[in-house]
Amino acid sequence: MITEYRQYLDPKKVWIPLTDGTFKLASVQVEQDDAVTAGQIVAYKYSGKLKTPVLASITGTVVGFEERLDRFNKYVDHIVIERSDSNQMITHEGLDDDVPAAIIRQRIEDCGLRQFNVDGLYTDIAFERPIKHILVNAIYANEPFISTDYDFVKQHAELIADGIKLLQHAAHAETATLIVDKYMDEQTLEALGKATVDKGIEVVQVNTKHVNGWDYRIAKQLVGETISPNLIDNQILYTSAYAAKHIHDAVRNGRPLIERQVAITGDALRVNVLYDVRLGTRLEDLVDDLGGYDDGGTYMCHVGSFLSGEQVAADSFSVTATVDTIDVSAYRQEPEEVCIKCGECNDICPAGILPQNIMDAELRNVNARIVDLHTDECIECGLCSYVCPSKINVLEWVRRAKRRVG
Amino acid sequence: MEFTMKKPPIISNQQRSYKRSLSLHISLIIVSLTAIFTRAFIAVPEGESWVPDQMFKTFLMLFTGALVSVLIELVYSISEGTSQEFSEYRRLVDPINTGLLIALLLPTSTPMYVLILAVAVGVYVGKIVFGGYGYYIFNPALVGVLFATISFATQIEYGDTPLVLLKQAIEGQSYNFELIDLVLGNYVAVAIGSTSVIVLGGVFIYLSITRVIDLRLSGTFVLAILIISAIVGFVNFGGAMWNYVFVNMITGLTMFGAVFLVAETVSSPTSREAKLIYAVVIAIMTMMVRILGTEVEGVVFAVLLGNMLAPFLNRTVTRSNKKLFIQTSVILAVVVLLTGFVLGFILQGRLIEAFDAMIQWGGMIA
Ligand code: SF4
Ligand code: SF4
Repeated sequence: MITEYRQYLDPKKVWIPLTDGTFKLASVQVEQDDAVTAGQIVAYKYSGKLKTPVLASITGTVVGFEERLDRFNKYVDHIVIERSDSNQMITHEGLDDDVPAAIIRQRIEDCGLRQFNVDGLYTDIAFERPIKHILVNAIYANEPFISTDYDFVKQHAELIADGIKLLQHAAHAETATLIVDKYMDEQTLEALGKATVDKGIEVVQVNTKHVNGWDYRIAKQLVGETISPNLIDNQILYTSAYAAKHIHDAVRNGRPLIERQVAITGDALRVNVLYDVRLGTRLEDLVDDLGGYDDGGTYMCHVGSFLSGEQVAADSFSVTATVDTIDVSAYRQEPEEVCIKCGECNDICPAGILPQNIMDAELRNVNARIVDLHTDECIECGLCSYVCPSKINVLEWVRRAKRRVG
Repeated sequence: MEFTMKKPPIISNQQRSYKRSLSLHISLIIVSLTAIFTRAFIAVPEGESWVPDQMFKTFLMLFTGALVSVLIELVYSISEGTSQEFSEYRRLVDPINTGLLIALLLPTSTPMYVLILAVAVGVYVGKIVFGGYGYYIFNPALVGVLFATISFATQIEYGDTPLVLLKQAIEGQSYNFELIDLVLGNYVAVAIGSTSVIVLGGVFIYLSITRVIDLRLSGTFVLAILIISAIVGFVNFGGAMWNYVFVNMITGLTMFGAVFLVAETVSSPTSREAKLIYAVVIAIMTMMVRILGTEVEGVVFAVLLGNMLAPFLNRTVTRSNKKLFIQTSVILAVVVLLTGFVLGFILQGRLIEAFDAMIQWGGMIA
């Protein structure tokens, strides 16, 4: 359970990765020993023709470049910035009322908001391709303590709603939908309801006690067709309420994305907290701030949703805009049993494919069958692994099959 | 302190395969105990044996079945060098289940050596050869039972079961079934475990709740049997059809099959659509064997046939969605209804008649 709220906004040093999962090339705009200001562009990263800026998150001096582990468990180049005392920050001009779509798009880009959520079905906040629907999720849940804390959503309901509107306007989207949890507390639901009621944002309630791929189902309902692993293909832009709040900040107050809230949980830690963190802070520094680990054991460190997130090999990675939750727990071995062919993974799969059969085909190396079974439609939601009573990591097998024929 | 990259299992979902085997285990033990106690009031043919004898024989069969099954798996795992697993009870659950199932599926008259052979064949040929629990294609228990009933047909004898009587009834003789006796299990049955429908019903509910039984398998099976027998009964007896339905439903392994055989997960298909087809095929086969065959207790054969089809069904279905599911259900419903009528008329020997009528009717329209 999350018991505390904390801030960690003045790190001595930050390590900011120059590339990520999609933007794999970078061109650095500053040199060693240069002075930089928070919000300043220190590099551009590229994915094909697309480019997006990398921002400094603190004001200080560039002290070097290091290859380090990032939150995707890959070794990539990081820029290291040491903080000077000043609290300066580059802000853009605040824009009120009706802002032209092109300007909102530019602002989102300039403030480093292109990539915010990466788990599961979330898409980038990108407008190169036509978007018809804006889908925003206000729910997050994380294993093993389903920790849900909606204070952020409650406090910022108005700003979130405004962010959604800005997104819709920027994309010229027809609809905007906000997903909320049936089990959110009254006040949060009320605040969200009040904020959205006159803005034409549709609010959809889901029951998070049933882990069944509700976002997939909602997306499917929106477009009325089978959806692809990348929702942008279906003209849906899907992001979180956190992103909406930051979009509001970027457009209305001109604030670049240099800090975010992260939930840090797990039984390896003394306290479980909601943290306001400066981007580029290493997890190990945060853990120190929390009083270290509970005892020396074998831990696993998981970033993002427990169904579709990433497991990382060490706690030395830094928090980026795409990190929403981190869980550090003692490793609990549970024996994997044989597949009893109960078919529960097949029943739950929101993409309507048959993971058990795919796993079977993968085990027997029959490529033609893997193709026949529509393996490429898997959205890697992880629900098949979740429901399996034998605790088989079914998704891992499906991924392997996908790679084999992909 | 170190970090591991081993993927941990997702633990917040409380379902476990082992828990399911355990529920099945408990159910089988309950049914076994019932089997022993029902012997106390089932009339035995005079002069052959007496009641305590029957009870002891039943107990002995169940005990031996489980023991032999465990021993075979143990010997095999010693040769594999994995015998230390057997120090935990959880490794014993599945062998015991198979052993009990085989014993429960045979009549009390079975000689012990036949039982032991049946278990040996079932566990070794049916299970171990395929790679053990989780990998077999045919339900191991049924492999054993089939072996025993075919190879030792004369040694395994039993009196006229209600279904045999029923078949004779259709051929013109008349019998009175005592409702109470049927419900309590006081009648001659092939399998020692199949008699008490009340206990089986309770177990059915318990296993459905613990999700050992998939209702798309067992539920469909029971429903299909119900519909087919209702139609056959209606065609042949008109108003008195419910007796026919009743005997079909509560005797002759129908409930036992629904609880322990049809829903056995490893040898059944994995997708929703295939599960429905599988259950209906088994139901149709069961009724066909009952009506047309000489071996009236056809569930064993029907389920084995279903097992045989399961890999094929798995291969046919490549995805699963609502539309396909509804389509499959509708087609299957039609198939079940048709089968009911065809079987009903065959039973009456009036199929040709019905066919003629249809042609005449067609001619009239044209
Ligand atoms: S195969 Fe598994 S991970 Fe892929 S879509 Fe289906 S349930 Fe999700
Ligand atoms: S849920 Fe697990 S045990 Fe059941 S069929 Fe799928 S992989 Fe097998």
